[in-house]
Amino acid sequence: MSKITSFPSTAEMSDIRHALLRRDPLSAAKEVLYHLDISLGSALQSSTGPTPGLEKSTVELVEEFIFHVPKDRNIQPKRMSCVQELQLLEIMCSYFQEQSKDAIRQIIFSALFSLQGNKADESRMAMLGKLVSMAIAVCRVPILECAATWLQRTHSAWCVRLARVLMDDYCTLVPCAISTLQNICSASPRFCCQLLTAVTALYDFSSDELTPPPALLEMLVGWITEDPRLLLLTFINTPLNSSLPLGCLEITPLLGLLRWCVKAPLAYQRGRKSALTNGHGESEKGTAYEELYSKLHLSVLQVFLMLQVHLTEQNLIGRLAVLPVESVATLVEEVSRLCEKLTPFPAANHIQLALDRLAQALQVAMATGALLCAREDLRTLCSRLPHNNLLQLVMSGPVVQPPPHSGPFQPNMYPHIHPGRPSTLSPHSPHPVLSPHPTHPALSPHRPLTAHAAHPSLSPHAFHPAAMAFPYRPIR
Amino acid sequence: MSAQGDCEFLVKRARELVPQDPYAAKAWLITARTLYPADFNIQYEMYSIERNAERTASAGRLLYDIFVNFPEQPVVWREIAVITAALRNDSQDKHAQFLKGVFETLPGPVQCKMLLKATEQCFNTLEKAEMLLLLLKRFPESVVQHGVSLGESLLEAETVENLDTPVNCFRKLFGSQEVGGLKSPGRGRSQRYVIDGLSEKSSVVTEPWERLLEMVGVVGSLCDWQGEKANRSYSELLQRVSELCRYMSATDSEGFARCCAQIVTCCTLVLFHSAFHYVSAVQPSLFQGHTSLSSCPWVLLEDLSSVYTDVEVERKHTHKKRKLADGREKTMSSDDEDMLAKGRGRHIVVNKAEMPGWAETVEHFRTARESWDLLHSHQSLETEFVKICSAWKTEMWMWFRIFLTDMIIYQGQYRKALSSLALMSSLQLQQNQIQNSLSSSSSLETQRAIIQQASCHYALGEYRMACEKLLEVVSGLMPQNHEAVKSSEEQRKPRGKTRKGNDLRLIPCTSKSILPFCLQLMLACFKLRAFTDNRDDLALGHVIVLLQYDWPQGENLFLKAVDKICQQGSFQYENFFNYVTNIDMLEEFAYLRTTEGGRVQLELLPNQGMLIKHHTVTRGITKGVKEDFRLAMERQVSRCGENLLTVLHRFCINEKIILVQSLP
Repeated sequence: MSKITSFPSTAEMSDIRHALLRRDPLSAAKEVLYHLDISLGSALQSSTGPTPGLEKSTVELVEEFIFHVPKDRNIQPKRMSCVQELQLLEIMCSYFQEQSKDAIRQIIFSALFSLQGNKADESRMAMLGKLVSMAIAVCRVPILECAATWLQRTHSAWCVRLARVLMDDYCTLVPCAISTLQNICSASPRFCCQLLTAVTALYDFSSDELTPPPALLEMLVGWITEDPRLLLLTFINTPLNSSLPLGCLEITPLLGLLRWCVKAPLAYQRGRKSALTNGHGESEKGTAYEELYSKLHLSVLQVFLMLQVHLTEQNLIGRLAVLPVESVATLVEEVSRLCEKLTPFPAANHIQLALDRLAQALQVAMATGALLCAREDLRTLCSRLPHNNLLQLVMSGPVVQPPPHSGPFQPNMYPHIHPGRPSTLSPHSPHPVLSPHPTHPALSPHRPLTAHAAHPSLSPHAFHPAAMAFPYRPIR
Repeated sequence: MSAQGDCEFLVKRARELVPQDPYAAKAWLITARTLYPADFNIQYEMYSIERNAERTASAGRLLYDIFVNFPEQPVVWREIAVITAALRNDSQDKHAQFLKGVFETLPGPVQCKMLLKATEQCFNTLEKAEMLLLLLKRFPESVVQHGVSLGESLLEAETVENLDTPVNCFRKLFGSQEVGGLKSPGRGRSQRYVIDGLSEKSSVVTEPWERLLEMVGVVGSLCDWQGEKANRSYSELLQRVSELCRYMSATDSEGFARCCAQIVTCCTLVLFHSAFHYVSAVQPSLFQGHTSLSSCPWVLLEDLSSVYTDVEVERKHTHKKRKLADGREKTMSSDDEDMLAKGRGRHIVVNKAEMPGWAETVEHFRTARESWDLLHSHQSLETEFVKICSAWKTEMWMWFRIFLTDMIIYQGQYRKALSSLALMSSLQLQQNQIQNSLSSSSSLETQRAIIQQASCHYALGEYRMACEKLLEVVSGLMPQNHEAVKSSEEQRKPRGKTRKGNDLRLIPCTSKSILPFCLQLMLACFKLRAFTDNRDDLALGHVIVLLQYDWPQGENLFLKAVDKICQQGSFQYENFFNYVTNIDMLEEFAYLRTTEGGRVQLELLPNQGMLIKHHTVTRGITKGVKEDFRLAMERQVSRCGENLLTVLHRFCINEKIILVQSLP
């Protein structure tokens, strides 16, 4: 009996392996899954401490019999047929569906799909892509939840690859399949939040190919306008002290979406430019989605405002950079390069639109505490951008004047959250901002913004000396 | 560059974008607001976009913000006025529905505050009352706080707005909505206040009194009032409460304190009910807009029908009365002059033909007085009642003041009555200023107060003041045909003889009835002076002039005057031929000059005294004087057909100064 409750020894493992080698690939894979379940499950039950780590031998078994990486040169593992692979995926699907313990499910998923930095990773990714794609198709929420966690803990390069697989399956190959993906949002908002971040990382407008497919854009805007809180879901559910691996995706899709909104006018203009030189008109493409980007941009700004409420309530204003300055700097850099490329063409309106959006996002992000950046630094950051009135105003900051009301002005929280709609996000989010309000949000006493001593310039309405010293003002 | 400039730029950009790209417009405004969070125009523009697009939730949210942050902006008030207007009428219009929706998204306390503020902004009372009702309907818990002010505002309407039917619309409002809405059980205590509010309001109203009575029943059972049951009349209510009061005060003080609220509430209702009905009979124009021909005001005055009785009987009595009054004034400085006057059981004389509902009116007056007495029979009751009065500002109620004055007069507290009358005139003055017109009815109402003052001064023995006041009234009157008056006077003659001097009389406030009263009052003032032991020809002359009215009622007095002249042997009254046209009197005086008549020296011609002195020096001219007298007599006989009231009216007006000066 002790064999079941504790990890098998190396000798035992070897026995298992030999037994598996004799089986057909599908039943061997099934046997490995069964083995994983038994051993990890019982280990999790007996240990009170942190989640048990994976034994190297177990990982090896998984790699050999599920991902078919040869253990030694002599024995070429039998590969599964396509039908067998499909059967295996089905088995996995139902396994995760039926496993009632979150922790076990999570640890098995991670045992299967955590990247190990070896040659098995390609197979893992291939299998993961197929599994998640299948889970979307048949709406297997537990797998999507595991995938969400995977997207949080994995380097963004891999996340982008997963996103690309899913986009190929649901956007490119079968155009009408997107509606299946669309419905996932209500089933697993966590997954959708992470997928959002991943697709914004994937489509960065660096080429026509990396421009978001229209159907995807439409779907995402639909998700976000349906419930803008989606964008903050991962952020709010992540404990502050949890250390995320280097190079993982951003904690929110905000910057990615912002990149889209700012770069879209420029990118479509670039598309038009190349279309003109190529001789076929593609100008319709750009205008058709202008409205969607405009809507998306507004949602991003509104989510910043929601974020401010959350940061204030958690007393995090000025302590936590939701938008990292470096990422913003990169974006500004990209925009500036795009503008330079477009300059000889009559694209002033598009450049101005991009800069208006950039300026708005910077201002609102700073004011809401999402971006920790002094106006002085902002000026340095944006020095290479073409002139834009609003950007100038944002860089110089508001003109400080005696307040029109007696007494200090209370920064006005503007949570665009209204009661009456049951939240699909709430099961995972005990957070007050995201849980449905029993009463009007305005009734809940907002704690006033506390300007942090460490970041005196971060309080959005505080007097900023630089604002006065700034020598020039917008031309209009 | 200024902040102002920045804000204008931002709002302008947003406004330009609204038609082509509303999302971008909103993005601009959100940005603008983070830059200038204290700027009103930015937030108002945000609200306008949502409102114009009829997005209920976001419009409501933004309205909340601007309501909280910019409460002083007139634009906000205009907006709230539009919304509350939509709430008040039941329009099915899509935009009105949207506005209602916006209001519903607001948190309760803000709704409440908004309605209150909007109420403050209403200048029109009906609108204001509708707003308050809206408030009460939505926030019943605020009834205690605002219910009374609703009543107040309705009452204010009654006094301020001089509509033909001043409170009809308010009455309907209050009656239909409030009574029904507040009958739900479980809020007994606050309901009591509502009822108090209602009674005050209904007091200007005839119809809802029965409703009010119903509510007393309901509330009584809710508040566990002693022996309260429905279907009582007001007089039964008073009877019940006074029994309760007597019973409880006889037992324990704790029990009495428990019943205090019940007694005061019921008794106050009865008081207002009765007083209201009394005043609406006595001063109908207060409640019916301008006086119609049939409804003139009535005035409660001293009954002077005994003025023609023999002075000897009366003089003793009056002397005693005045002595008593003087003594009291010194020791107690009270204005109670007379135990008799103070008296219960004073009789109120009414011409039954002229006042059809007289019995009810007198009964209401009596019930109201009894309620008042009950309310003042106990310190704790009085305290409670005074609280109600001050909460309702009853001192501002013209009609109630009228009742109080009449009650005080009835009680014989004339000094107090005079100050009450002064209060009444100041109230009247305020109202006239508001109405900005002195209509005929309001001038009659003014005279009503003055003539009561005259009556009170007379009762106090202040004849000069009495005379001054009544002459003020007379100068405003038009003399009527004498005969018409006489016939109506005749009807009450038999009664007048049997009564003593401390009755009261309800007289219609018309020239026709008032002028005779004034003449009698003047006669009463001069009578005492004329028949004192000291010689006062002027007073005696005035009495003779005044006795012409209602002739021959004053015949005995006239004969007494003639006796006095005979005793004196001479009589000087230079106005005689101006104002005496009574043929009997003229004959009597012609006779006095004869030897048989006693050769009385009569100086009845103007400046005749001077002439006589002159004639005694230059002989033979006395004959001329005699001739003058004879001629004057003859001329005077030809004047007998003149309208006596016109003559007496002229007497009052022309001799005003002499008349006043000849009294102490």
